[in-house]
Parts: sequence; structure tokens; C-alpha cells
Amino acid sequence: MKQRLSLHRGSLIALLVMANLVVLANLASGDLKTVSELVWLDIAGEGGAALLALLWIGLILNSRPTGRVTRLLVTGLSTLFLAYWQDLMDEFIQLPSAVMWDHWLESGAMPLGMLLLTLGIYHWHREQQAISAQLQKRERVFREHRSLDGLTPLSGPRYLREQLAMELLKQDQPLSLVMLDLHCFDHSRRLLGPHDSDRLLREVAEVLLLNLRQQDLLCRYAGDRFAVVLPRTGRQEAESLTRELEQAVRHFAFKTQRGITHPVAIMAGLAVAHDEDADSLIERANRNLHSPSRVA
Amino acid sequence: MGFFLHDQRFIPAHGQAAVLLDLAADQAIDSNVLLRHTGLFREQIVQGEAQLSSHDFLQLIHNSRRSLADPELSFRYGQRLFPGHYGAASTLLANAGNLAQALQVFCDFGVLIQPLAGARLSLSEQHLCLQWLDCAGSGPHWRFIVEAAMTGVASVTRWLSGERLPWQFLFRHDCPDYPEQYQVHLSGPLHFASQIDAMLLPLEYLERPWPNHSATARQAALQQCQQEIASLPGTLSLRHGLYLHLLEHIHQPPSLQESAEWLECSPATLKRRLKGFSSHYQQLLDEARLHQAVHWLAFHGQGPDQVCARLNFTDSTNFRRSFKRWSGQTPAMCHRQLLRFAQR
Repeated sequence: MKQRLSLHRGSLIALLVMANLVVLANLASGDLKTVSELVWLDIAGEGGAALLALLWIGLILNSRPTGRVTRLLVTGLSTLFLAYWQDLMDEFIQLPSAVMWDHWLESGAMPLGMLLLTLGIYHWHREQQAISAQLQKRERVFREHRSLDGLTPLSGPRYLREQLAMELLKQDQPLSLVMLDLHCFDHSRRLLGPHDSDRLLREVAEVLLLNLRQQDLLCRYAGDRFAVVLPRTGRQEAESLTRELEQAVRHFAFKTQRGITHPVAIMAGLAVAHDEDADSLIERANRNLHSPSRVA
Repeated sequence: MGFFLHDQRFIPAHGQAAVLLDLAADQAIDSNVLLRHTGLFREQIVQGEAQLSSHDFLQLIHNSRRSLADPELSFRYGQRLFPGHYGAASTLLANAGNLAQALQVFCDFGVLIQPLAGARLSLSEQHLCLQWLDCAGSGPHWRFIVEAAMTGVASVTRWLSGERLPWQFLFRHDCPDYPEQYQVHLSGPLHFASQIDAMLLPLEYLERPWPNHSATARQAALQQCQQEIASLPGTLSLRHGLYLHLLEHIHQPPSLQESAEWLECSPATLKRRLKGFSSHYQQLLDEARLHQAVHWLAFHGQGPDQVCARLNFTDSTNFRRSFKRWSGQTPAMCHRQLLRFAQR
């Protein structure tokens, strides 16, 4: 978290300097109001708005890398913040009516900030479309960040169950589920060590993703077991897709940190859904994983 | 008497605890966050001088589970645990010539290789049963510890024996909402809501010779382990020691007063010390009686009536009521359930 914020140190310092300059300019040209002149409701409203703008800046800076979209969002929000900040200063400091810059700061900065923010959100949307296109085979229809897996860039078993349940509702379409297990992964883990074996899982996930269709979904079930949901896919097609996955992994030459090739193989268990719930489909696929015939 | 207390620091922090720290570091969790409230810092651990009490170790597990709320954590931890880098105990395990010798490390030198979970090996006509017992009074973390211990033993015995051993797994707890972790990492028949936490294996695997071991290295390591254990404040936790004492005299269990005399302390001190392990005398007695009853019912072909007599209950109604209080089941129900997996 600290690392993310330090990327944006420049923006934060600029904002702090601007806010201070506004306070100084106000103090230089106006007079402080007496306590009886203060309107507390306005102070709370305008101060609250300024604080919220500041909070949004913090959240955005904290969650995003630097770049054009971040710059637009933060500049927009900073401009909004300065407008509210000046608004708040008005409540404490009486400026002479000859001073015009405060009106410019208040009423000019507000639409400018809105405009920049809108532009930022538009580009954010475009960026998200690009990311979603990349994520397509790991995530379908809806997003749930809580079911992401900690080790691989895939979703975990909870997401798998939810997606299967949704697909099983479409009773007119065939649905297949393939469970994939790395062959002798227990052995590999001890040979390779924790770092390489974790990386092996991540890279096998990539290989599998490359060999799936647009509509398919790959999840990490647990340990070295992956699950592939194949919507609108009958037995024959599912079998040939499974064979392709097995071949793809067999041809994958994983390299250890020392650059040595470690061969990988997977075993598959296929189950075609007929009139059952997600758990029983998963259970059947798991069972077929261990029987060599692979019959569902 | 050779029993250690919950706050006695003697577990080397660069042993099993470091495995957990490394695992967390791989997932970019700051070690000092994990060491919060243990009174230790990463720098001390790297120097190899820091020691933990069982209470500190539990705190470390608590912190890890909070920072990495992933049900896979305990299983990944277990996979990395054994044979490990714990000096002579690891050498002893790595050079086991068969399963019996490997399990001996857990039973006789448990405090060196797995200080929070005690192993008890018992043999029946068909099965060996490796039961896991809570040494530290770990409460909500027991499930984590038992998941890690079973994953670890299943994984290391597979590695050393060169074949997949057909373990069955019994758990006291109900099936949690992450059954997939159990299925994939343990990959054997799973029995939840059983009365004990244990692993079962057909007896023929016990003496089957294993490849790649050195009998000489094993002998030397055995000597070293014995020396190491003699220099510790105790070979068992007070909780575990008292439990085993009660188990040994299960037909006529000693009272709190008698147990305190055996331990050469006052009953009030014993109570206070057990409280350090979040335990009390009656709880240990109930546990011991339930576990013994389960062993007799499941593995020694005895019916509820025989067990009732051997536990020295005067009448079967009384026994049934007590058994139900310990386990939530009647002895007959439990008997039927246990026979199922003993026959597999």
C-alpha cells in the first residue's frame, strides 16, 4: 500500500501546495469572520464535500498504477477539491467585493474538474474493456473479486460452483466439465521447491487458457487441480477439447529457475451434465479423474 | 516431571514456524505483521536464536490465518513441513527405513518435529491408526493444525515410500465449506464428524521397506534426538502429558487431587497451568474416555456393553448418557459409524 502511494508522491505534494496557497491568498486579501458570523451547516456541507474529494483521490491513487487515466482522474478530482476548498474558505474569511479570483476559483474550477473527471472515467471504461477482453476465459458474465485464487490469476472453487449452477439452469444446452490434475505434482513440488512449483501452476494455467475457446472458463479447483467449464458442449466435442489440452501441456517445456526443462503431464476427468446440481457434476468429474476409462 | 507449560519458550523459531513465515513471505506478507504479539522479530529468527512458546506459535498461526484468509494455507503449510530442516529429527525422518520408523519420529520425538500436535499410534488386527492430539489447547486453530499435520504426513510418507499410501482420514469436525482442499490435498477417503482426528492405513504397509535411506545416519540421528529431547524443559506439554496419564489409567482415572500429587504441585496450580492451555481437568478426562471408547469400538471389535464395563461405568444408561455428552452420539450409533471405515 505504501509502495502504491509513493508512486504518486509528486501529485500529492502538488495538491498540498495548492491547498496551502489558497489558504494564504485568502488570508492575505480578506479578514477573518467572527464566530457569530459562521454558518455551521455550510461549513459541514462544503468541508465534507472537500474531504470526500480528498478521500476519492486517496483511493484512486492507492489502487492504480501511474498513467494517463490515473492522471486525468486525479487532476479532475483535485480541481474539484480546490473548488470546494475555496468554498470552505469563504465561510471563514470575508473577502472584499473587489476581489474576483475567488469566484473564478469556485465557479470556474468546478465545471473544469467535472469535465476532467468525466474524461478520466471515459478512458477508465475503455481501459476496463481492454482488460476484460484479456480476462475473458477466466471470468464469465459477472465479477466477484472475493473468489479470486491467491496463487494463479484464476478464480477459485466458489466461483466455479456459482458459474456451474448458472449454466445448469440452461437445460436445453449441453454442458461439460473437465477436471485436470497434474501428473505426480507431489513429486514435482519436492523436486522443484516451492517457488518453481508455484510458478509451474501459474504457467500451466496460461497454457490451458491459450488452448480454450472464448466461451470456456478455467478455474483453479484446489492444489494442482484445475476445472474447465465447457458450455454448449456435448461429449464428443468435450473429449476432443480435453485431448487438445492434454497434448498442449505435454508439449509445454517448463523451465526451472536454473533453466532446466521439467516435463509436465496432466490427467483429465470429464463429466457431461445430465439433470443434476453443480456439486454432483463436480464429484463425477473428480471421480472420472481417477478411473482410466474417463467414462462419465 | 518433564512437562512444559504454555508460555515456556523452547521451540526454535527457525523450525516449523519459519516454514509458515516463508510461505507468507512468498505471498508478499510482511513477516513482522505475522510476528505481531509474539515478541519476536524477523532479525532474531534469522540469527537462529529466537524461541517460541506453544502459546506464541498459536499466535503466529492466528496472525497468518488473518493475513492470508485462504483455506489452502494449512494444506500448503503441511506440504512444506516434513521432513523439513529441524536438525536431527528431520534427518531421522528422512532416513526412515519403513513407515513404522517414520511414524516413530512423530510419536517419540513429536516435540521436535511437530510441537503443537501429538501423535499416538495404535495397531489393531487390520489397521494402524495414527491419531492426532491437541498438545497446546489450540481451540479454533486445531483444525488448521490437524489439516497441516495430516497433509504433511500423507505427503512425506508418499515421498519417502515412493508410492501413494491408501490413507483414510477421520476428522472430528464437520465437512467445512472448502471440501475441495481436502479432496485434492489428502486424496483419500474422508470421514468428517468422526469422533477422533486420525489417519488409518492397512497394517501391511507398516513394515514394508522403503528405498533410499541410510541406517547409519538414522542411528546417529536417533542418538542426537534423544540428547536434544533431554535438554528441553519437557518432552510433552502438560496438557498432553496429563491426557496420556489419564488414558493409561482409564479404568480407574485419578482425580484432580491425585493428578496434582502425581505432578508434584497443588490442585490450584494444576488448574491454573491447565488454564494456560485453555483446558481443564474434566475436559481432558472426557476426551481420554471418549477416545479410548472409540478405539475399542472401532478397532478392537468390542461392543458398547464391553466398553461400558472397561470404562468402569456401573450401568449402561449412565454410560450412554455420558457418551452422548462427550460425542453428541449414542455409543451404538458411533459403533455403527466407526465399523464402516474400519472395514474398508
